[in-house]
Amino acid sequence: MSGEHPVYPFSAIVGQDNMKDALLANLVNPSIGGVLIRGEKGTAKSTAVRAVADLLPERDVVKGCMFRCGASDIRNLCSSCREKIAAGETPETERARMRVIELPLCATEDRVAGTLDIGHAITKGQKKFEPGVLAMANGNILYVDEVNLLDDHIVDLLLDAAAMGVNFVEREGISYSHPARFMLVGTMNPEEGDLRPQLLDRFGLVVDVEGEKDTARRSEVVKRRLGFEKDPVAFCGRYEPEQQKIRDRIAVAGKILGDIEPDDRLIDTAVRVSLSLGVDGHRADITLVKTSLAFAALDGQKDVGKEHVLKAACLSLPHRMRRRPFDESHADLRSVQALIGECYSCP
Amino acid sequence: MNAEFPLPAITGQDDAKKALLCALASDRIHTVLITGDRGTAKSTLARSIGVLAEGRQVLTVPQNITYDRLLGSIDLETTVSTGDVRLTPGLLKQADRQIIYADDINLMEEEVVQSLLNTAETGSYTLEREGFSRSIATRFLLVATMDPQEGDLTPGQMDRFDLSVRLDAITDAGLRGEIVKRRLLFERSPADFFREFWPATDALNGKLEAARERLPYVSIPEALADLISSLCLELAISGQRGDLAVAQAAAALAALDGRDNVVFEDVKLASLLALGHRRKDNPDSRQKANPPQSGETTDGKENRGTESPDRESSPGSSPGRIQAGQKNPDSRQGQNGPTPHQGYDQVFDIGSTFDVIRYLDEKSEKTTARQKSGRRTRVRSSDSSGHYRSFRLPGKNRNDIAVDATLRAAAPYQQVRRHTGLAISVEKADLREKIREKKAAHTILFLVDASGSMGVRQRMVAVKGAILSLLIDAYQKRDRIGLMIFRGTGSRLLLPPTRSPDLAVRMLRTIPTGGMTPLTAGIAEAYGLLSRGKYAGTGENKSIVILTDGRVNVPVRGGTPPAELADLARRIAGSGIRFVIVDTESGFPRIGRALILARDLKATWFRLEDLSGRRLAAFVQDTIYTYR
Repeated sequence: MSGEHPVYPFSAIVGQDNMKDALLANLVNPSIGGVLIRGEKGTAKSTAVRAVADLLPERDVVKGCMFRCGASDIRNLCSSCREKIAAGETPETERARMRVIELPLCATEDRVAGTLDIGHAITKGQKKFEPGVLAMANGNILYVDEVNLLDDHIVDLLLDAAAMGVNFVEREGISYSHPARFMLVGTMNPEEGDLRPQLLDRFGLVVDVEGEKDTARRSEVVKRRLGFEKDPVAFCGRYEPEQQKIRDRIAVAGKILGDIEPDDRLIDTAVRVSLSLGVDGHRADITLVKTSLAFAALDGQKDVGKEHVLKAACLSLPHRMRRRPFDESHADLRSVQALIGECYSCP
Repeated sequence: MNAEFPLPAITGQDDAKKALLCALASDRIHTVLITGDRGTAKSTLARSIGVLAEGRQVLTVPQNITYDRLLGSIDLETTVSTGDVRLTPGLLKQADRQIIYADDINLMEEEVVQSLLNTAETGSYTLEREGFSRSIATRFLLVATMDPQEGDLTPGQMDRFDLSVRLDAITDAGLRGEIVKRRLLFERSPADFFREFWPATDALNGKLEAARERLPYVSIPEALADLISSLCLELAISGQRGDLAVAQAAAALAALDGRDNVVFEDVKLASLLALGHRRKDNPDSRQKANPPQSGETTDGKENRGTESPDRESSPGSSPGRIQAGQKNPDSRQGQNGPTPHQGYDQVFDIGSTFDVIRYLDEKSEKTTARQKSGRRTRVRSSDSSGHYRSFRLPGKNRNDIAVDATLRAAAPYQQVRRHTGLAISVEKADLREKIREKKAAHTILFLVDASGSMGVRQRMVAVKGAILSLLIDAYQKRDRIGLMIFRGTGSRLLLPPTRSPDLAVRMLRTIPTGGMTPLTAGIAEAYGLLSRGKYAGTGENKSIVILTDGRVNVPVRGGTPPAELADLARRIAGSGIRFVIVDTESGFPRIGRALILARDLKATWFRLEDLSGRRLAAFVQDTIYTYR
């Protein structure tokens, strides 16, 4: 890592395997739909999210494009890039690293959606679109800390863009649309209140994290943190080989994922599980299949095994179970595990 | 560049597809609503019509829309450079002869919804803004989606939708598997996927085109027209929109089927599409049709209470229902008295009306289980958060300038003003500030007398029940519910205002009771909690529900307890927090202290006697939400 502000390396995070798995699965297949991390303060939630950026390979983006359009992603270009290509130009590209864009709780609507460029309007007398957070988030990770406290109308904007992958702006004299495909990562403390079910359903995976209980591991957390703060650059250097291993793993997994098709057993299992839980809608089935595939790919395998489905089920189902208020849903998850075991028992 | 999922590739949901095809085939169907739980392909379905629209564009109304873009506003660039005041058309005008798509329409502002629906229905709207006053004609098809769990539209708005369909998650394992497979294929390569379904899409397009040509010549036999009228009467559909919509949908269905005459089956399906959301005897809409001001919630609860036993306790009728259900189109004809091909002079008696009604009952059974709820209340926001709704001449909030409106106000004068290097010169008189709006959340704090007086146990049961049932509905309204008790020498916040039912259950497991009655301190504490710090946020509706018999017996500052209480009550009455007193005094003689307190606090007062937790919740909701 060679930036000016080194981030704590992903590989140096102690434990929290579920959270790491969930993030990695999303890096391999962003269409899984992001991660919601629930847990108390101080459980390395934010650290993990920020650390993810360093794991991603640089990608080619159109030079000077304010939405950082992917040069190879022809389907999701912004209007100006599309025009350029349609006019026969080959846009210049540059290498860019994926970034973590933070959406602060106090963000106003115009800053999220984008708005009229005031300076341009006053000095030139012309209307111009000033991109907002959703524009910056295109192709990046959109991170919302305390997502359950986000203002309701901002949530509506987020849902709108997340659902379509496009941010349509029709406000303050501006009519504009641009690609807004991002990996949504949220963290929250469940004691502060629940997340709106509609937004909850948009998160592909949900992880519940707890503080480390083991004494030796707790002190390891502290040691590493102190080591990092003392000399971040040296610390990151020490973990660089580990980081590279993870990067390679993601790259390999991405390639494998392009080659594998879900087999009937996997789809059948996903459907049976969803039906037995009475989940809302069809997102659960689709996410379970995608996540299982991603886990298999991360293990370097082309065949999805029982363990991949089990792991995927724990992350993709609990928040989609039809909510009977006031009962705790762990019992259901056990029956899911039994069902998956059954589906994968006969060869 | 087509990234949409093609309509023929959507598995199942035949009624919904029919509804969309009807709307595309007919020029008289202007509005279609697709409802359903999250993840039931509402948006996928609605957006899929883009490929079928034959040159018609699909324009999206985003949640962030402001009025100037919806209705139109002054053309800033031309006006500044030429001094000629010109209008930029808004989305409604741009959508002329096109399609407007509104995702989650129930989350949009009331006025946006009204403008969309009114304009779609009448084909024009009046612009009265920024010096423009004109009537603008525009004709478009509005396709909207909503998840009723997030809040409903009003019955009046529902009635404006010509057709409405509800999507349910498919429960057939084979079909579900197919859905997953197709979705993954689509994401892997949209272009290949599109190509694979191109023949089907193309065929559908051909069918649509033929239907559009045929539609003007489709006729409805008189007997069927009568059937439609008697059906609407029987279902107590108010107004004529329902009748018209059934007739138009039936005609479109006939045309899509390649026929020149409407048959019974067309009317049946058309009724499902056009009347399902307008029905009065559907317990759901019946209660919504009540005047929203009074007793809506209580009625709702009662209806809900009687509804399920009704349905379950009539086992005799269920076999008949299943027969009339006819999910399989092939079995439809055999089981119904009048079959479609018996000729047009067939008289459709009251029996066929009930055939259709039974069919509607069967098809919409799942929807009737929906719960009541109005839309969330909205309040003007006084800081710079919230949705930018409109603008006004600056008042107190000078920091939140509506730049677009200010520039538009300045634009016409640019030719005559002196410029200092800037293209636009803005003067003080041009300044406009934003009016912002927020969805209002209610914070309801229960303040419960847990002293040793009579009936404390019953009181606690009622309160727990009320808190939990309020929290169940809380996520629609974004309410926060808290509980504070007072006993002995002071008060204790047992449940900080929360939206989380899980937390509430954990915190409410045990409630200590017994001791003296420090009512004054309790009220002071509760008032302090909601008026200071974390919960003091402006623009929120805050209520304190006090359950007490009013017999205060602990002094705060050494005065007589009742005098101190009265003094405090008068000081905090009318300070923005609403009080509700639930009088727990029972038996004889009654002293009526709580009533006196209610008067001092300017509170709503009622008796707890015999109120169950649910009823208490209903009362509280009723008083609090109908306030203002």
